[in-house]
Amino acid sequence: MMTFDRARPLRQSMNWLHTWSGLLLGWLLFAIFVTGTLSYFRNEITFWMQPELHRAQTAPPERIAFVRALALLAREAPDAQQWTLTLPNPRNPTLGLGWQSSMTGNRQASSDATREQDAGGAQPSNPAAESRPFSGETTRGRPDRGEARGENGARQEGRRRERGADGAQLPNPATESRSFSGETARGRPNRGEARGESGARPPRAERQPEAGPQRSGAGAQRQGQGGGGHRGPRLALDPESGEKLEGRATAGGNFLYRFHFELYGIDRIWARWIVGIATMLMFVALVSGVVVHRRIFKDFFTFRPGKGKRSWLDAHNASSVLSLPFHLIITFSGLVLFGNMLMPTALQAAYRGDSEARFGEMRARMTPSSGMPEPSGERAPLTTGLAALIAEAQDIWGGGERVGSITITHPGDRNAVIELRQMGFPSLTGGRNVPVLRFNGVTGEPLAAPAAREQSVVQAVGSVLNLLHRGFFATPVPRWLLFLSGVGGSLMIASGLVMWTVSRARKAPEPARAPWGHRLVEVLNIAAVAGLMVAIAVHFWANRLIPADLPMRADGEIHAFFIAWAVMLVHAALRRPKAAWVEQLACAGVLTGLLPLVNAATGGLALPGSIERGLGLLAGFDLCALISGAGMLYAAYKVHRHTPRARLAASPSREEPGSGPETEADTLLPGTMEEAA
Amino acid sequence: MKTPDWLIATPSARHRVNVGLRAGLAAFGGYGLALLGAAAFAAGLPFDFRPDAVSLAIMIAFVLQLIAIIWAFAAATIARAVLGLAIPAALFGLWLLLLR
Repeated sequence: MMTFDRARPLRQSMNWLHTWSGLLLGWLLFAIFVTGTLSYFRNEITFWMQPELHRAQTAPPERIAFVRALALLAREAPDAQQWTLTLPNPRNPTLGLGWQSSMTGNRQASSDATREQDAGGAQPSNPAAESRPFSGETTRGRPDRGEARGENGARQEGRRRERGADGAQLPNPATESRSFSGETARGRPNRGEARGESGARPPRAERQPEAGPQRSGAGAQRQGQGGGGHRGPRLALDPESGEKLEGRATAGGNFLYRFHFELYGIDRIWARWIVGIATMLMFVALVSGVVVHRRIFKDFFTFRPGKGKRSWLDAHNASSVLSLPFHLIITFSGLVLFGNMLMPTALQAAYRGDSEARFGEMRARMTPSSGMPEPSGERAPLTTGLAALIAEAQDIWGGGERVGSITITHPGDRNAVIELRQMGFPSLTGGRNVPVLRFNGVTGEPLAAPAAREQSVVQAVGSVLNLLHRGFFATPVPRWLLFLSGVGGSLMIASGLVMWTVSRARKAPEPARAPWGHRLVEVLNIAAVAGLMVAIAVHFWANRLIPADLPMRADGEIHAFFIAWAVMLVHAALRRPKAAWVEQLACAGVLTGLLPLVNAATGGLALPGSIERGLGLLAGFDLCALISGAGMLYAAYKVHRHTPRARLAASPSREEPGSGPETEADTLLPGTMEEAA
Repeated sequence: MKTPDWLIATPSARHRVNVGLRAGLAAFGGYGLALLGAAAFAAGLPFDFRPDAVSLAIMIAFVLQLIAIIWAFAAATIARAVLGLAIPAALFGLWLLLLR
């Protein structure tokens, strides 16, 4: 046996390090990976969770009911500083309306910066939005931090910050997520405060004013594709009829998204530190695993699935090696996103604590190009020819590029400006420099477009990391690749966790009296892997079973998730391991596999309908539920059929169903010990 | 007088103490080194635009922390593990002093 007080080869040290750094917070990492992976489709998930919106008929720009939409905006938000219309897109077939009120009383940002920020939504041509990349930093340790949840003002403030971060593409930890609510999906009537919002939600229009002072960040369009979360008041319309669609209050995919880096129910700064530590452990486990697994490059290029016995080790290696670049990037970029929080000395040393200097510098470089006119104070009717402007923009862009969103600044003023933003992101390093065209809002004449933002090499690196981590891509293919890599990462962690018990079960002389540590790991493995799958499925069930008009129903969905998870933990502790695995996997498989039926039975658009209508986001959800449900049932079946050899306690998992029966992991990384000896 | 049993370091106990020390060194020393490195690079990298220096320093710091943690367990002896962290830490400290 290797001991650290004697000479030993590097690979043995790394094997030890790999094992324990992976195990220490492995259960948490699994949850982070699974919920983070689902977050790549959080807009789609949220859309699924609002069946009221499913039947919206998407429409081409010329058929969109702009007149009704603008009339509605004029009625709901006559004094808004800016309106945003998000056109139907592949990630959301509804027409989204958003607005922000004026910026009075903003206590944090200088008003110009704020206004600029507003002008751009999350779309970046807007310099000031980028100019505050570190703004989130200042919130750390602010006295009001604790109130951030469940209180409008603080939340709004977080929202603005977050936006700063979004635009900035500089690694920005504290910001990335201050507001649980910030990520609200489109079309949610209640802006989806997933957490702690009190009971009956007044209609949005009435609620807004109280949130006003801090609402500078509202209206951000999170993703260029237009499907992104939207901070601020938000309405969803049927594009062609202009009917208002009332989606139910839901925690939506945003709950899973928030959970993956802020957990739930504990202070978010603490939560981020915990997640940050887990991420560093993941980083250590990955790199030490690469050192141990010396044939990594050979495996990488010659991996042939199905050849030879698939032991746990093979499963673990396969899932690790196949998407190793993804694991490394997602882990590193995750750390960098929290960089200002985890490595506070960098900012302190560079600016000696002078945060004003920091903002000044950012602004000096990035602001000058905005060119948005001030409101004149004279009223003038807005042009009604939005469809014509869209046609003009698409002509100018050519190449089949489409308009993703329309922003109207100073609506009703003589100096109103209409900005048309292209759907999607042009390039990886270009970040959010989405092409924008500007028109006079009254006459429809073209105006000079805002200058593209310049980006240094370091910022480009930061933005690539950010984009990769968060899947900001125009087309679905890279997002699916990220999703699948995330699934691979989840399987890697799960198989690694299971391997810990499997390899130790073989060594233990008397399994009936397994050491408490072993038993603990076993129980946590079951609850963290299979139990989490049950909890997620229950979350979706709760979405449909809790009455749509019940107050606090979004919280109910979240509570259902945690109650289910806790029940699974108790269940895992009470049952024998094999029975617990089988029952929980079967339970998760059935619950997940039935989701398409639940969807159809509770008012959602059923699978055949969504396929027929080409609603990939709904069909994708239902199909994924079917596939993963079937996969988990198959895994349960394999575990059930598995007769443990010798005294091996069975604890296979769902990830490599075929691997259950022939577990051959004598050492975690065979070859290591023998070669070392 | 006979040495009490619990004072006799068995191989396993020696291993445990060793691992504990290394883990502590990795956790605190690794993070400390990273913090120092982040400060030194953020202040010392020759960028005209300081936010660039900050961003790059943070990225470097995470890699430093990773290497430090791995070194804490890879080094042959505890002493070497400590030295391997202390020397770069001293260099970063010196760099920071010179930048003042």
